[in-house]
Amino acid sequence: MSDVSPLEAEVAKLIVRTLTLKVDPAHIQPEEPLFGDGLGLDSIDALELSLAISQSYGHQIRSDDPDTVATFASLRSLCQSIEKHRTK
Amino acid sequence: MNTAALLGLYRTDRVLAWENGHPITYGHFLSDVGALADLLPEKPTVINLADNRYRFLVGFAAALVRGQTTLLPPSRTPGALAQIAREYGSSYCLVDGTEQVEQLPSYQLPKGTESPNDKLKVPQIPIDHPALVAFTSGSTGRPHPHSKTWGSLIAVARSTGTRLGLKTPDQMTVVATVPHQHMYGFEASMMLPIQHGMAFHVGRPLFPEDVRLALADVPSPRMLVTTPLHIRACVTARSRLPPVECILSATAPLPSSLAKQAETLFQTRVYEVYGFTEAGSLATRRTVAENTWHVLEGITLHQESAGCSMQAPYLRGPILFPDLVSLQGPHRFVLHGRGTDLVNIGGHRGSLSDLSQKLNEIEGVQDGVFFLPDETGTSVTRLIAFAVAPGKAAEHILSALRTVIDPMFLPRPLHLVPHLPRNETGKLTRAALLGLLQELHKEERHGT
Repeated sequence: MSDVSPLEAEVAKLIVRTLTLKVDPAHIQPEEPLFGDGLGLDSIDALELSLAISQSYGHQIRSDDPDTVATFASLRSLCQSIEKHRTK
Repeated sequence: MNTAALLGLYRTDRVLAWENGHPITYGHFLSDVGALADLLPEKPTVINLADNRYRFLVGFAAALVRGQTTLLPPSRTPGALAQIAREYGSSYCLVDGTEQVEQLPSYQLPKGTESPNDKLKVPQIPIDHPALVAFTSGSTGRPHPHSKTWGSLIAVARSTGTRLGLKTPDQMTVVATVPHQHMYGFEASMMLPIQHGMAFHVGRPLFPEDVRLALADVPSPRMLVTTPLHIRACVTARSRLPPVECILSATAPLPSSLAKQAETLFQTRVYEVYGFTEAGSLATRRTVAENTWHVLEGITLHQESAGCSMQAPYLRGPILFPDLVSLQGPHRFVLHGRGTDLVNIGGHRGSLSDLSQKLNEIEGVQDGVFFLPDETGTSVTRLIAFAVAPGKAAEHILSALRTVIDPMFLPRPLHLVPHLPRNETGKLTRAALLGLLQELHKEERHGT
């Protein structure tokens, strides 16, 4: 199992809380896909999650950003994007 | 033969669509439609999967010109597409990406013609031509088709435009967050524009920042065609949207407090549109002003023993409301709630009995049921499912479900239980299901 950064642990909790998922945040693998087959999230989740992220970190997610597909690919890529764009 | 024009208003150089800040004119559109119509195969029905709103419209219009019918699949899951492919075997697909339906021939929509041909005439389409087939999920487990004539699509577009006070000289541009392959999205972002000389943005923004950028990409006056979910997202994000003349919302009830916030924050008017697949859009209301819905011109309401029905000159007969409504005369009604079997998750309508049947068809599932728990808070309430499947893992059942039902309907969560609380007649009451859920929650809290 790969090491989880403090931000990754924090965002994993945010994902589980925001989307009322029935998984232990500590069990979300940082490299596992968030959408489709991994956690099985969909576009409603993406929208809910983007709101929670903008409120917690001040990062406004956009889908025409060429990085967005990559951003939501996994917990790790999401956290890298937050790290890069956060204002709080 | 009675016909009606493809376009409500035609001027070659008027803008129809905006793609990455570039205008595509009505003249260009007619050239693209003419060129594509010559290329389409000789088949009666077409599944148009184009994601780009403009290319979808070119495909739809070319199919009309050729006397073909466009099918709107109820969802894009491989299972749903395969089912439509089985029932409409002599169909083909139009795509603008990589998506294909395995069982049917697929054709890539062309990028478009080089320069418009000024001499083209607006095509005339027979009003009784079945232009479109939309589907609802019934309790039978098979999608139920609803055919829409060209005349009925035009009538709804015209009466909606009249209701909204659309005037062709001040050309409004539509930005829509809803898919054009759904009835509401099709009516509001395709039919409304082409019947009123309006323009639209080709994309489908999702996040509040996307919505802001898409609106900024098109000229004023603007109309946002969306859902309560996206409105709440934009309000929560306190988006600084460019001026929006009006917002249309449909697919789920919009709380009046949210409508008020949106009107204040975005300095706009918020209208809700009510409709269902069988009838199309049929009523509107200005949510901040009143609770009552006003039917569109030409529609009348009737109280029948089985419930309330609506009638319109473009429909073959009266249609019963799938929801609980009470009439206030022949032209107004109040909506009390969805019927017990129908659910609406983020704009996708489904039938609980249909979903339960799909669950029960999965290998290893002995008994199973879907239900919608009581709505809490402001976020979208998701479905819950119980399944009796000895020796099977929840993950196994979920991946099987994912191939046959829309992702919005996937249970959150799927509980595996030893048996379902059926009563002596074999029925599952809502109270019994809520009781089972409470018990499970109690066990979780005690860590057992």
